[in-house]
Amino acid sequence: MMKKKMISLVLAGVMATVLLSGCGGASGTSSKGNDDTAAGGSNTLTVWAWDSQFNLYAMEEAAKIYQKDHPDFQLNAIEITWDDLQTKIGTIVGSGDYSQLPDICLMQDYAYQKYVTIYSDLFQDITDSGIDFSQFPEGKLAASVVDGKNYGVPFDNGTDVAIYRTDILEEAGYTLDDLTDIDWNRFIEIGEDVYAKTGYSLLSVQTGSSDMIYQMMQSAGKSTWNEDGSPNIAGNEYLKQCLEIYKQMADKRILEVVNSWDEYVATFTSGKTAGVLNGCWIMVQLESAEELSGKWGITNVPSLPGVDGATNYTNQGGSTWAITTNCSNVELAADFLGSTFAGSTELYDTILPGAGAIATWLPAKNSDVYNQPVEYYGGQAVYSMIADYASKVPSVDLGIFYTEANAALATVVGNILGGADIASELETAQSTVEFNMR
Amino acid sequence: MTSKPKLVFMYLFLSIVSLISIFPLAWMVIAATNKSIDVIAGKLTFGTNLVENYKNLIGQQPLWGNFWNSCKYTILVTVFALIISSLAGYGFEIYRGKAKERLYSVVLMSMMIPFVALMVPLFRMYSKLGLLNTVLGFMLPSLATPLLIMMFRTNAKAFPVDIIEAARIDGTTEFGIFFKIYIPSMKAIFAAAGVITFMNAWNNYLWAKVIMSDNTTQTMPMLISNLTSGYKTDYGMLMLAVFITTIPTAVVFFALQKYFVEGITGSVK
Repeated sequence: MMKKKMISLVLAGVMATVLLSGCGGASGTSSKGNDDTAAGGSNTLTVWAWDSQFNLYAMEEAAKIYQKDHPDFQLNAIEITWDDLQTKIGTIVGSGDYSQLPDICLMQDYAYQKYVTIYSDLFQDITDSGIDFSQFPEGKLAASVVDGKNYGVPFDNGTDVAIYRTDILEEAGYTLDDLTDIDWNRFIEIGEDVYAKTGYSLLSVQTGSSDMIYQMMQSAGKSTWNEDGSPNIAGNEYLKQCLEIYKQMADKRILEVVNSWDEYVATFTSGKTAGVLNGCWIMVQLESAEELSGKWGITNVPSLPGVDGATNYTNQGGSTWAITTNCSNVELAADFLGSTFAGSTELYDTILPGAGAIATWLPAKNSDVYNQPVEYYGGQAVYSMIADYASKVPSVDLGIFYTEANAALATVVGNILGGADIASELETAQSTVEFNMR
Repeated sequence: MTSKPKLVFMYLFLSIVSLISIFPLAWMVIAATNKSIDVIAGKLTFGTNLVENYKNLIGQQPLWGNFWNSCKYTILVTVFALIISSLAGYGFEIYRGKAKERLYSVVLMSMMIPFVALMVPLFRMYSKLGLLNTVLGFMLPSLATPLLIMMFRTNAKAFPVDIIEAARIDGTTEFGIFFKIYIPSMKAIFAAAGVITFMNAWNNYLWAKVIMSDNTTQTMPMLISNLTSGYKTDYGMLMLAVFITTIPTAVVFFALQKYFVEGITGSVK
């Protein structure tokens, strides 16, 4: 009896679920909705991006601003991680069914060149769309310009900041000014002294990551690629210099090498290191340590000593809005991006306090919001400082095969910490990248 | 009779192994009640941030809508996969046919093809059939899996053929034999296959992500992955989402645990 009851219960449950879900029929409409956008040239734009609290938030705020003048405009924002976005694009390209692409998608700067170059029919050339690209820093535009054509509207700022604990510096007899506009040699001197006097490392880094090397290279406008697109790793004196600095800092405990990203974040949020050097997006993580408010100060990064073209400004990460070839209403998409992300101080004034999203669009830095002092960083007007740094970052070719070169250099970084010879490691990395490019 | 020192050692060893197994689960529950910064710092005691984490989670993600999606897809996949695969396994074992073994080898061989390799052709096919972004499209690839068919066939071997013949003589139809005689005596294997299918369907991520392109159709694993994609990961909130996602699989597993071992080892009562 009990058994029969159970079976009927299960069957009733299944039937109810089938009915409610319409077994595909009902949710089929959402697919149709997506197609409408692509084919009908309607007023709806479908956008794919990751991070609901940052990128999608910014996109939704942009839509609200655009809707003021275009009441019919609708945004269909879909959250999708960067890894999944790549899987989906790969599947869509493989299947040849481009109708499944959104109208706009967010692309990581380091990978965008590769997508535009390899899948030339995936993204729209928007050079002549009326968007004023001259209002973005050249270093930032480099990610979305291929053969002189613009393929995207730069968004997320990856400009590097060096953030130090001013209380610890003071304890060692230094101020923020002592760490401003310096080169790595001076940084090492100060770092050694700070470590000796306070026991704090100035910086930390995640093991098996070559990001710091890339940041050092870009600060001097140096690339890991030759102009013909071949890797310039073996025998690259700048790369060798960066690795030597890195090794020296790790040996002298100025740089604490930790095992994972979480540990890396914990080094500065739980007050184990006296500084952070990374893209300005790291500030969102940093600020989660509320009890350290007022103890931090921001300045520019050290430069490569004795190198022609060396600056104190560099970049790590960032992203760009791209319009796909599936977008039937390119005019609308370009107008939307052009009048918001490339034309609205109101947008940047909203998303800065709302999500900590710092503009790469240069006119944004003149607004009041950008010039307000920030208590967390001891009252510095950090946002206008960062926007100013962004305009000074040298433009560098990250290359189509950035991911491959980054991985090979990460191995080099790991090996040299173990005592391997830099020159021979770079040769191995060169051949690994050449092999992976085939 | 096991000697006392041996017993002590055994208990000690098993206790350590149990602790190692339980630790991640306990840590997940503890982390769900803490602030992100405490989780990163490795705090191992319960915190007071559970309600805050929950509020943030439902504020940022369509939690219960996605939970319902996961339940819906998983129940449908489990029920249909059990019916289809058990029929197939039963058919392979009970009926005779020339090409049967060859066909069975092909079915088994398909186990060796990784899903990633099938993804692009499947996507292309489903796109032409208009099944993208539909529940049916999500379900179809999971309905007949070689593993389940193999499990059901192996178990059907132990089912006495005499009963089938006796039933046929009594005039029971072939479907009658399957549903009225075979299924009731094969509870254990159905439970085992049910647990495996339920877990696979619940955790299905790759295909769900490829075929579903809408926030309203996404499932719990997709929601969790979205929570880790930002510049700032709120670990307390993330662990709460993971905890909520773990509950249904844990409930199903514990409810059917008794049958699970029996089913895997293949016994008929």
